[in-house]
Amino acid sequence: MFVMLAWRNLWRNRSRTLITMASVWCAVLLSALTQSLQRGAFELMVANVVSFYTGYLQVQQSGYWDEQTLEYTLPYTDTLRATILQYPGVAALAPRIQVFALASTGEKTKGCLVAGVEPEAEDRVTRLRRKITAGQYLTDSMPAVLAADGLARRLHIGVGDTLVLLGQGYYGAMAAGKFPVCGILHFGSPDLSQRAVFMSLSTAQQWLDAPGQTTTLVLSPENPASTDKLAAGLKASLPPDMTVKTWMEMMPDLIEHIKTDTASSAIFLGVLYVLITFGIFATLLMMLLERRREFGMLLALGMKKGQLARVVLYESVLITFSGCLLGILTGIPVIWWFARYPIRIGGDSAEAFRKFGFEPVIPASTDPGILLNQALAVLFIGLVLSWYPAYKIFTMNPVEAMRG
Amino acid sequence: MRRFLSILIGIVSGCWVFAQTPETAFAIIKKADERARGKTSMAEMTITTVRPKWTREMDVKVWTKGNDLALILVRAPAKDKGTTFLKRKKEVWNWVPSLERTIKLPPSMMSQSWMGTDFTNDDLVKESSMVEDYTQTLLGSDVQSGLPCHKLELVPKPDAAVVWGKVLVWIDKKDYMEMRVEFYDEDGYLSQTMVGSEQKLLGGKLLPSRMEMTPADKPDQHTVITYQSLVFDKPIDDAFFTTENMTQVGN
Amino acid sequence: MLLLIAWRNLWRHRARSLAIIFSVVLGIWAGAFLVALYYGMGRDRMRIAIREEVSHVQVHHPGFADDQDAAFHFSVDSLAVAVKEMPDLRAYSCRCVAQAMLANASGSNGVVLYGVDPEAENATRGLREMVVQGGYLTNEKSHQLMVGLKLARKMKLNAGAKVVLTFLDAQQNIVSAAFRITGIFESSNAMLDERNVYVRYDELSTLMGIEGRAHEVALLLTTDAAVPATVEALQQKLPQLLIEDWKAISPETAYIISAVGGSSRIILIIIFLALGFGIVNTMLMAVLERTREIGMLMAVGMGKGRVFAMVLLETLLLTLAGTPIGVGLSLISVSSLSKTGIDLSQVAGNMMKGFGLEAVLYPWLPVQQLGEIIVIVIITALIAAIFPAWKALTLKPAEAIRR
Repeated sequence: MFVMLAWRNLWRNRSRTLITMASVWCAVLLSALTQSLQRGAFELMVANVVSFYTGYLQVQQSGYWDEQTLEYTLPYTDTLRATILQYPGVAALAPRIQVFALASTGEKTKGCLVAGVEPEAEDRVTRLRRKITAGQYLTDSMPAVLAADGLARRLHIGVGDTLVLLGQGYYGAMAAGKFPVCGILHFGSPDLSQRAVFMSLSTAQQWLDAPGQTTTLVLSPENPASTDKLAAGLKASLPPDMTVKTWMEMMPDLIEHIKTDTASSAIFLGVLYVLITFGIFATLLMMLLERRREFGMLLALGMKKGQLARVVLYESVLITFSGCLLGILTGIPVIWWFARYPIRIGGDSAEAFRKFGFEPVIPASTDPGILLNQALAVLFIGLVLSWYPAYKIFTMNPVEAMRG
Repeated sequence: MRRFLSILIGIVSGCWVFAQTPETAFAIIKKADERARGKTSMAEMTITTVRPKWTREMDVKVWTKGNDLALILVRAPAKDKGTTFLKRKKEVWNWVPSLERTIKLPPSMMSQSWMGTDFTNDDLVKESSMVEDYTQTLLGSDVQSGLPCHKLELVPKPDAAVVWGKVLVWIDKKDYMEMRVEFYDEDGYLSQTMVGSEQKLLGGKLLPSRMEMTPADKPDQHTVITYQSLVFDKPIDDAFFTTENMTQVGN
Repeated sequence: MLLLIAWRNLWRHRARSLAIIFSVVLGIWAGAFLVALYYGMGRDRMRIAIREEVSHVQVHHPGFADDQDAAFHFSVDSLAVAVKEMPDLRAYSCRCVAQAMLANASGSNGVVLYGVDPEAENATRGLREMVVQGGYLTNEKSHQLMVGLKLARKMKLNAGAKVVLTFLDAQQNIVSAAFRITGIFESSNAMLDERNVYVRYDELSTLMGIEGRAHEVALLLTTDAAVPATVEALQQKLPQLLIEDWKAISPETAYIISAVGGSSRIILIIIFLALGFGIVNTMLMAVLERTREIGMLMAVGMGKGRVFAMVLLETLLLTLAGTPIGVGLSLISVSSLSKTGIDLSQVAGNMMKGFGLEAVLYPWLPVQQLGEIIVIVIITALIAAIFPAWKALTLKPAEAIRR
């Protein structure tokens, strides 16, 4: 009965209803967009940083992570490959054999990190090909290396020069080889730029005398957000001497950075909520002012305050609900748009992003949970605010209200 | 490496004069050290690296002169044959025949494993001397490998570039052979142990022909050095220990 | 005349006026507060970078930057003469630098080894205040070493522990020497705490065979503003050396600061969208409420243009009324928070240290930014008022009065 009355009231003054609804709708849209952009920026940063080198997930022999030597190799068999690739949620796999070695030109000698990779698989997982600034990418059979630009500068070498690599092979044997430099790489990470050397997996296995061996299998998940779950599940289905490391374990510093950003964006979201709350409140306040006469009349005609308050409460609740629903419905294309066509950063900031090897964009995250959570948050705010008009009616003096 | 060089390379008998009187810790160490320190030495040995999953043998020949000069030639396995290491004071050079390059090891490599063994590159060049860099105390007598031994504690002098907190040494009372050495870190935890055994006449001196090095935190792995032959005090020219010669010596 | 009507209207509808004034106040405050937060973060980073890490200006041999090769050194004496002539100099520190391996029985770690004069280094970077365990370098005892907290934790080092440092001297010979940890420091940047270790200049320069020479000189100036002039003046006096300001030496700081600028812009846009929408909705409601009144005005002959102008004028008046309050509120909250700071440690813990940021944020609002915000708020309010004003025009006087 009261709901019906409220419903009719809403239709009776459509502009008013629409305006109030719009304020709720706008609140949902803005807070969802904000959160999507913030999350999107994090996700992009993680994607950027993991694509430097580590990837989202790595399968390793237990003990490898702490020692990082060839004592802890992983035989890369077809069965292992099939087991991992068939595991649900694994999108791609790139095997690597990685050792610390000396890179020398004769006069100059520097420590470096040599990674033997399958060129095409590596490119799929960490987009290695894009990091080339001079020369060419690796091929499977070519016994050549890619050197990071910082290392190349320190050793005074360029494309076409010969690099001597001296390290420790499998079974402690000496690994020594001369390789032509076929390309120069640039990494956003200064550390990698100072010391990374890449060659094809078969070349590295030959150099290290470790046929069929790898040290890490780098995986990319279909959904980066479920990396943790995937790691746990995968670990359970692999032999017990293998372990699965996530980027969070491999790069604790990055997690720290994300927590920092989360803290400051929580403040931002808080301020936005204050603004939104007031926006909705002001609209309700205006609605009350406009309807003072009407309310006064109804009360004078004998309607009980409690009854009227209930009608008005139902009105506000209905408006809030439909506003949130509308927010969700329109939020989907808006967020999708910003995910598809991310905001481009210009000027100095863009230059700084590029220096670190990042594209200067802020995409929106399309996680549906964000939209839902923000709609719920606004719904909560709206429901709390809905009590205000009802409360006002209780304190209303009908005679004065009619006159006003 | 310097440790095993100093222990393995010659042991001088001498010093009969003081044998009867009670000896100071310093004198014991000095005697043991002098035994192990001919003017020059030339040794042939097998180095066996034992790991849980594999074992690897390497035949090497080592020349030394005094404390500062050493040259190591790898003769087997075939893949590493002809590889040489030259030590001059604190510098180490590495020659690999297939590369035809001489590479000087940078400081960052010094703490890395030498040829996959339980010795580091740093062990090759360490000039620390059990006589000069440590303060020695005689702890008493003990039996090691069936031989009655002096047990001594060596604490590095404050300025000595030594990473150990202390070193315990067991020196056989009769022939002054170092039978066991334990290396402890600054906090007093055992870091690695070297045990000598299978004493033989080498280069005219009775010496442990087998030395086993075991890191304390990895009891399932160790490195064994076995001596085939040892020659002391055969004159070697300084020119032998040069980067030019290290490329020739394997031929 | 129109102004008078608008003015009276505002007073007649006090609740509505207050609502709009309040949205303006809130908008200015929200914008100013968030911008202050981000700028505060950027300024903190810059302040820490200058005060604790790189100082204002650094001098190197041109070849040094490439590989930090110990062979690229210069005379301290001749440099000191030039440096001391700088009018804005507060302190300077001459250092020799080596890429070293720090080793103890359980392991080794690559570090950058600095030889510094304890007092000069403290005057330039405040290293003494950063000591968290043990003491600072003194001139009495020899072979003292200071390491950062992160490295100490990683290698399980305590004050009093002995380590061996191995590095190349200026002639490329390997040198190793034992040092005892006299103190452990913790700066605001954990990355540097893992990498940098300090010994006395006289000892390191002797070990490296470069007595009286240095690889690096850091200058702290009295004001940030003096940096360009000092760089230029020094470069003229020392043409053979490379003089760089902190931005060149610490590009990641410059990156963080410019990233702050970029993200604060996006934040402002969202804030003003929220503000604009709030005003549109409030004014629209107001126009609805005033249907009768506006209809009446039009019926007595007020032209459409004037009605439009009146609604806009009302909004402008309200915005102007709200602006000083908003500015005042922003200034008060920012300035009080800039003293106490906002403690993020509840949320972020000590995590911020990982990136050279303090866990406590001190907001900072540059005057220029406040000005921009005020202008944008007023423009937003006016644009937001156009739609309701236009809506008022579409009312038909006869119908409007009847309602």
